[in-house]
Amino acid sequence: MAVSGPTDERLLKLGVRHCVDDICVPVKLFFGHVLDLKDRVDYLFVPRLVSVEKSGGDSYTCPKLMGLPDMIKGALDGLPPVIEFRLDLKNHSLKHTARTVARSLPGRGGGFKASFRSAVSTQALYQRELLGGADPAGAMRKVLGENGDGGRARPAGRAAGSSVNIALVGHDYLVHDPFISHDLPGRLASLGANVTFTTQVPQEAIERELALYPDISWSFEKVLLGATSHFLRRDDIHGVIIVMGFACGPDSIVGEIISREVRRDSATPVMVLVLDEHTGEAGVATRAEAFVDMVRRSRGR
Amino acid sequence: MKVAFPHMGNAYISLSALLEGMGAEVVMPPRPTRKTIDLGALHAPEFVCLPFKVNLGDNIQALDMGADTLAMVSGMWACRFGYYGRVQHQILKDSGYEFSSILLGRDSLASVYNAFGGTAPGSLPVSWFNAIRAFRRKALAVDELEAKARRTRPWESSRGATTRALGSALVGLHAATGSARTRDALADGLCMLDAVELDRSGRRPLTVTILGELYVVLEPALNFDIERVLGEMGVTALPVLSVYRWLFRSLKVDPRITLDEKRATRLARPYIALDLGGEEHMTIAGTIRAARNGHDGVIHLYPFTCMPENICRAILPRLETEYDIPVLNLCLDEHASPAGVATRLEAFVDLLRQRRRRVES
Repeated sequence: MAVSGPTDERLLKLGVRHCVDDICVPVKLFFGHVLDLKDRVDYLFVPRLVSVEKSGGDSYTCPKLMGLPDMIKGALDGLPPVIEFRLDLKNHSLKHTARTVARSLPGRGGGFKASFRSAVSTQALYQRELLGGADPAGAMRKVLGENGDGGRARPAGRAAGSSVNIALVGHDYLVHDPFISHDLPGRLASLGANVTFTTQVPQEAIERELALYPDISWSFEKVLLGATSHFLRRDDIHGVIIVMGFACGPDSIVGEIISREVRRDSATPVMVLVLDEHTGEAGVATRAEAFVDMVRRSRGR
Repeated sequence: MKVAFPHMGNAYISLSALLEGMGAEVVMPPRPTRKTIDLGALHAPEFVCLPFKVNLGDNIQALDMGADTLAMVSGMWACRFGYYGRVQHQILKDSGYEFSSILLGRDSLASVYNAFGGTAPGSLPVSWFNAIRAFRRKALAVDELEAKARRTRPWESSRGATTRALGSALVGLHAATGSARTRDALADGLCMLDAVELDRSGRRPLTVTILGELYVVLEPALNFDIERVLGEMGVTALPVLSVYRWLFRSLKVDPRITLDEKRATRLARPYIALDLGGEEHMTIAGTIRAARNGHDGVIHLYPFTCMPENICRAILPRLETEYDIPVLNLCLDEHASPAGVATRLEAFVDLLRQRRRRVES
């Protein structure tokens, strides 16, 4: 198994060169990661996330995630055969999908049951780590042990005695990609803030919050809205930073819904940070510093 | 009740027939211009798609003209369009406008049905029945007039004659009430277009398929009137989408549309495995069909950051080589300039002419 390396300048440039001009950054980065892998592997694993909730009415992921393998196959030449993992929980169980993929792999067919069980339990451990406050890279290292290829280590950030707690809301592929977010979580930690991630909000809490607003059909953005609402209600969260990707379709609408329907009666300061491939490090640093200072000052009063 | 709704091409003719049939007074904002777009962009989220900004601008102008009710369709789709009504109406309410909103799709069907209880000319079911018939009649008539104009324009001997004739035909149609008068207005309009003087000597117009995102394909204010511009350059421009098709697609009452949608989806399957909530199947299938029908080229129009069309944008270069048909991608936003679009259209048409000469020699 080969995994693409951490995002860097080279991957970004590769992605930007081979992808559509005005699509969101995460897709460009995904193209970069695919290009990084394609000459090193015999099969390419590309997920197609269609629906990630079993119930919940008309909830789907964003069209770009649904069409990701189509875009990859349409736009790139000389790809190895693509293993498409179509996660469509509304129509097929995870086990069914996994088995279909396992059957399409060459080699021995045995051992599916055991490996599926171990995958599910590992994922559960990973999610428990995330709930406990680890970032994805850290959780991966902890769960997979030595084998984890979890990017680089990050300062722990739970600086004792610091008085500001900041919630970081946004897609994990932006917030936890130290290259594209210019290591925003680490930066906030080194400014003395306690950072809480979206992944630390339990599912029940998010659903409780979502019940207060009209339905939204995008599964991942729904979580962002529920988490923001949850954080704004909590007294121990002193500021919320919402991270968006430029040209992200669902974010443009859900961001507006958050600022008009969710933030209405809340006094907690909220900052929206829009990231793209041109975002400068200094821009992120200045705004993070200013925000933490502002929150700290308003707390002091 | 003074109702307003955002513009989309000539959809206003059939939609106002529907609402007037229900006894509502229709407030019609002026056709979108740069001013509308700027007005909308001022209040809209920064990187939302362009149609959102134009619709918002339309709504602001309508409210300034005295509308007290805004109507919009709404829904739970993967495409952002389903959220337009909800977010736009909230933005307007936050800006201090007071109005009631009808969100077809989000409000229950019963509440939309009963919303016109106070204004309907007769009993509710009868009024709805008549209004929907008038709506369909006018939508069909507009479709017929537009199709006729499309076929006439490249041959006209004095430039602009077709556009003028179409303009007055549509004005006549919009003013007509009742089935007999609508029929007469349509006949008059077709006569007006027939009367346009043609010059068939030695001309062999190029044929170009126009496809892409619904709103920018159908709204001349956004695509810089691409159909007219191409027509006057002597090119037959055939959009794969129409207002009639859009209005009646989801109702599934016209078997021709339903069947064609199914066929298009099947044709697009090898390239796009799933429905993404926009017109992506029409974009892919339209390109393949254009090549099969021997069209000279394809123009793909989409608004900046449009999700489904950006996926097509990634796939179209492959179709271009596989089916050997030239494709021009035009991404439109509030900063697109008429000169920029015109230059690219001219260059594309030149290229198509050369290609035809080369193929024929």
